[in-house]
Amino acid sequence: MVAFSRGSADAFSELFSRYKQPLYGFFRRRVADPAQAEELAQETFLAVLRAAARYEPRALFRTYLYAIGLKILGAHRRKTAFRATFLGTAVAHEPAMPNTMDAELLLRQAVGKLERLDREILLLREFEKLTYAEIADLLHLPLNTVRSRLFRSRMALRDLLAAPVPKPSPETLTESEGRV
Amino acid sequence: MNTTAHPVAPEEVMALLDGELSASDAQAVSNHVEQCGECAQLVKQIQSTSQSLSRWNVETVPARLENSITSLSAKSGSSLKIGKPDLFIRTSFWTWKQWATASVGTFVVLLLVAAISLPRLYRPDSLAVFRPMEDSANGSAGKPQIVAKLATPGEIADQKSRVDRDKIAPPNSPVASASPVAATDSDGQSLTDQSNIFSAPMIARTVSLSVVVKDFAAARTSLDHILARYHGYSAQLNVNTPENAARGLQASLRIPAPELASAIADLKALGRVENESQSGEEVTQQHADLVARLKNSRETEQRLRTILDERTGKVTEVLQVEQEIARVRGDIERMEAEQKALEHRVDFATVELQLTEEYKAQLNPPAPSVSTRIHNAFVAGYRDASETLLGIVLFFAEYGPALLIWLTILLLPAVFLWRRYRKTLATV
Repeated sequence: MVAFSRGSADAFSELFSRYKQPLYGFFRRRVADPAQAEELAQETFLAVLRAAARYEPRALFRTYLYAIGLKILGAHRRKTAFRATFLGTAVAHEPAMPNTMDAELLLRQAVGKLERLDREILLLREFEKLTYAEIADLLHLPLNTVRSRLFRSRMALRDLLAAPVPKPSPETLTESEGRV
Repeated sequence: MNTTAHPVAPEEVMALLDGELSASDAQAVSNHVEQCGECAQLVKQIQSTSQSLSRWNVETVPARLENSITSLSAKSGSSLKIGKPDLFIRTSFWTWKQWATASVGTFVVLLLVAAISLPRLYRPDSLAVFRPMEDSANGSAGKPQIVAKLATPGEIADQKSRVDRDKIAPPNSPVASASPVAATDSDGQSLTDQSNIFSAPMIARTVSLSVVVKDFAAARTSLDHILARYHGYSAQLNVNTPENAARGLQASLRIPAPELASAIADLKALGRVENESQSGEEVTQQHADLVARLKNSRETEQRLRTILDERTGKVTEVLQVEQEIARVRGDIERMEAEQKALEHRVDFATVELQLTEEYKAQLNPPAPSVSTRIHNAFVAGYRDASETLLGIVLFFAEYGPALLIWLTILLLPAVFLWRRYRKTLATV
C-alpha cells in the first residue's frame, strides 16, 4: 500500500489480486444480494484508491481495508433500513439457490440467529482471520469483550448446529439468510 | 465448567486454539487441556464449529468488478482524477449519532437566533417610540442632546394675540379676511356677518423643509431672526450635537399664513434644500358647520335665559332650566375652543423644518480612555447576555406551549418510525 501511495500501479494490482476475494466474501456473507455485495466491494476499493495519498501505515493493510468495508457496510445497512422504513422499499433477500447443500443452508440460518455483534465478531475471526486485537480495534471494543463475545457466539453456534432443526419453508429460509 | 474447578478459563482454551496466547500461557493452557477431559472436549467443540463454518463458501469475484477496478486503478496511475464510478458511490460516512448531533446543533442555533430576534420584534410600542431617540443617543455615545420646548400653550396664546394685533395682512388674502376677531365675539350678533366673511376658502397649510447648512451656529441664529421677523414661533425644537458627527435641528414652526411664502424663502436661503413638500387642507366646510352649530347653541341659551327671567314655576322646573342652560353653555365653550383651534391652524401655517450640518470629519477624533472602553464593553456584554437570557425565556413562554403540543402530537409517530427503523436495521 505504501508503494501504491507513492505511485506504483503494480502495487495496487498486487493488493487487489490479494484482497479481492476476501473482501468480496466479506460483503457476500453479510449482504443478501450478490449484486449489492459486488457494489460494496467496488466502493471499498474505490475508497482505497482515493485515499491512497493520505494513507499512513499505522496498522496492517487488511485492518485498514476491513475498517473501510465495515463503514461502507454500516452506511449501506442504514440506507436500506431508512428506505424500507420511510419509503416502503422492500429489503432484498437472497434468492433461493437450488444447488446449495442443506448443511450450508442450515449453517447460514444458524449464524443468522446469532446476536448481531456476536455474529460480526465470529465472522471477522473465522473468515477474515483477524486477531482479537484487530477485531477490538475495528469494532471499538475492549479486547476482553471481544474474547468473551467470541466464545459466547461459538458456543451459541455449537448449540444451534447441534439442535435438530425442522425443514424450513422457502420464506423462512430466505429471510434467515438475508440477515447474515 | 468454571474457574474454580479449572485453573484456566474456557476463553483461554479458545484463545489457545486461535493462537492468541503468549508462549508461556499457551504452554500452561496446553498442559491443562492434555490433562482435563472437559477442556479437551471444549477444544473439539470449538474446532468442530470452525470446521462447520468453513463449509460456508462464497462464489468467486465477478469479472465485472475486476475489470472496473482495474480500469480505475489505471486512471489513478495516470494521475487522472477518479470520478464517480458507474455503480453506487457514497460521499459521506456519517452515523446516526453524527446526524443527530448536527440536527440538535442546528436546532439550538435556530433557537438562539429566534430568542435574540423575537423579543426585539415584539418589543412594546411605547419602547419603540423612544427607540430613534435612544439610538441616536447611542450612536453619539453619550453625547449631549438638547430637547427644548420653547413655548407653553399660554405663551402661544399670548403670541397669537400679539400677532393678531400687529399683523398686516395683504388686502386680497382670503386667509387674512378670515380673521377670527369677529368670531370671538360672544354676543352672537355678528355671526351672520361672520359666515359671509368666511365665504372665502379656509386652508390650513403645512410645509416640510429639509435644509443642509454649512455653518450650523449661524443658521440657528438666522432661524431665530426669521421667526422674530415674521412673528412666528416654534412649537417644538430639538437640537442634536453629537461628537464626531453632524449636528442637526428639528423644529416645528408656526408662521402666520400671510407671511408663509416670505418665511419659506428665507428658510431656504439658510443652505441647500434637500427636500421640500407643501400641503393644504381645506377646512371651510368644517368651520361653517361649527359656526352654525355655535349660533344655534347661543340662541338656545338665550331663549332658556329668557324663560328663566320671565316665567315662574316650581323649584324643580327652575332647576331643570338651569341645568339645561349649563349643558348648552358647556357645548358652546367646547365649540368655541374648536373654532379657535381651527382658525389658529388657518392663521398659522405649520413648517416642519430639519436643519442638518455639513459635517467635516476630524483627522484624529478624540477616543475615549481605555478604562472607559473596558467599562462600556462590560456593560454592553452584561446587557447582551441578559437580553439573550430574557429572549430565551420569552421564546419559551410564547412558543413553549405550542411546541409542547406539537411534540406530543409528533412523538408517537416518531417513536413508532424509530422503532421500525431499528428493527429493519437489525434485519438487513
